[in-house]
Amino acid sequence: MADKKNRYNIRDHAATYWENSPKWRRVSMSIAFIAFFYALPFLNNPLVNTPGSDFQSVLFYPVGMYVLMAIGLNIVVGKSGLLDLGYVAFFAIGAYTMAILGTHTALNFWEILPIGIALSMVAGVLLGTPTLRLRGDYLAIVTLGFGEIVRIVAVNIEAIGGPRGIAGIPTPPDLFKAKFTILDPKPYYWVLLTFTLLVIWMVRRMAARRPGRAWDAIRQDDDVAQLMGVNTLKYKVWAFVLGAAVAGAGGVLYASQILSIVPDQFNLNVSILILACVVFGGIGNLWGVILGAALLAFTPERIRFLSQPRILVFGIALVVMMNLRPDGILPKKKREHFDPNWKSVEESGEGEIK
Amino acid sequence: MSEKLLELKNITMKFGGVTALSEVNLHVSKGEIAALIGPNGAGKTTVFNVVTGVYKPTSGEVNFVGQSVVGKKRYQVTKMGIARTFQNIRLFGESTALENVVTGADVHSKSGVVGAIFGTPRSRREEAAALERGMELLEFMGLKHRAGQLGKNLPYGDQRRLEIARALATNPQLLLLDEPAAGFNPAEKVALAATIRKIRDAGYTVLLIEHDMSLIMDISDRVAVLDFGQKIADDVPKVVQNDPRVIEAYLGAPADAS
Repeated sequence: MADKKNRYNIRDHAATYWENSPKWRRVSMSIAFIAFFYALPFLNNPLVNTPGSDFQSVLFYPVGMYVLMAIGLNIVVGKSGLLDLGYVAFFAIGAYTMAILGTHTALNFWEILPIGIALSMVAGVLLGTPTLRLRGDYLAIVTLGFGEIVRIVAVNIEAIGGPRGIAGIPTPPDLFKAKFTILDPKPYYWVLLTFTLLVIWMVRRMAARRPGRAWDAIRQDDDVAQLMGVNTLKYKVWAFVLGAAVAGAGGVLYASQILSIVPDQFNLNVSILILACVVFGGIGNLWGVILGAALLAFTPERIRFLSQPRILVFGIALVVMMNLRPDGILPKKKREHFDPNWKSVEESGEGEIK
Repeated sequence: MSEKLLELKNITMKFGGVTALSEVNLHVSKGEIAALIGPNGAGKTTVFNVVTGVYKPTSGEVNFVGQSVVGKKRYQVTKMGIARTFQNIRLFGESTALENVVTGADVHSKSGVVGAIFGTPRSRREEAAALERGMELLEFMGLKHRAGQLGKNLPYGDQRRLEIARALATNPQLLLLDEPAAGFNPAEKVALAATIRKIRDAGYTVLLIEHDMSLIMDISDRVAVLDFGQKIADDVPKVVQNDPRVIEAYLGAPADAS
């Protein structure tokens, strides 16, 4: 135990450095960090290259998309402790909204986006209000069912293409000088990155304030949370709805890039894989989840040269990782402060520190 | 003078065939320290669970400042002004001491998710107020130096005190303490008695469950005794102490009585 405590912990050192940095240094570090990710498609490094598939495409899907979805699912699973196995349903609702409205109306991507998000949120409320009274395994089963229902409904409605899906989805109109075409995934990646940054900002704000405390309380002890005055059902539904909104936005963007969708793209595997990203990265920890999703999405593409056995190699890598770090790559860990005169970071107006 | 804050009328609570409480009448007056005692399994914690909305009584009424509590959601009961602690400590162990307390203080905030995302002035104001209140209460309970530490890492006594601070943060009119002295040594018990008096003097009304008789006799204004779900005594400590039925409940009937 003792030597574990004294072990050099890069994370604590980084967090301390960040906390003690003046505002200008934090701002410039953040800008550099964000700029790096905007410039990422131009990076042509043999280490991160993806032989066998286009690196810029890989950045948009799966990497960027998984990261966005994992952050959204982390609000539900990580922050509030609600096991949702049907998360793909909200992604499908966003994608189908884009596909249907894009092919049948004159609305463009930017006009459909808020509609897609809103419909996903409505679906979140409709599913969440009755089912979030359930706990644990029961909730998992109901959400699993919901995910499958959405897909099966899409397969069986001929008006929306049935099992053949919808083709000919329009691309977004030009934005500034960027042209959205099938041949150039960069603008999509930049839009996706912007979404992701917005969601990160939103999640960090909530986590440090009342909703974050309510979710923490619900996850740790639902009964006590209620007795301490937390309207648990309300905050669970909010977690669900916010998660749904993120997936819905992802779905709209995905459909506008892929140009044709079929129901089978939205199967249970996607829900499970996104959940794996969350658990693999470190359930409840925003940065861990981002890293986990990026790795899980990127690795199969990186080792595509292995061809057939690559899924096996990927699976083995997962099993090994889960044995070495059962709590994920970057486990959720709250930093403790032993200084008797410590004032909370929230009080000084900064975001949460992990 | 003695305005009834909480009143239980003919409360019966049955779990299947087991009657945990039978026709219990009980009241707590404003500003007093009332105690609820009784042998194990007498139904003391059940009373707390009925009052805080965890159980819906099979029959009977629970009134709190003239309003019925029965059928209210748990968080609504807390909002009405009843807060409690737990017999087995149930803190949010993965949250810091300050966060534990502020979670309770959030009850009276009006801003929620939307306010937090957009950082509305009301949300900022309420956040600041809740944090300030949290710090005040930690100081009141002598836990200010623990503010940044995780609930699960606090020493046992501090965990008990933190539970009281968290309950106080909801700004209750009535504070229910379920065995606050359990596991305390004599010195800690004396300190706890002083704390409970301090809480009463700060304007809260206290109802506590306790097994430690010297503590009860020392601080309570009134003692109610439960035995097998029935109230067998309810009076000032001196009288209760010498009540033959109470002695019988605790020690068993004298062998030569029959």
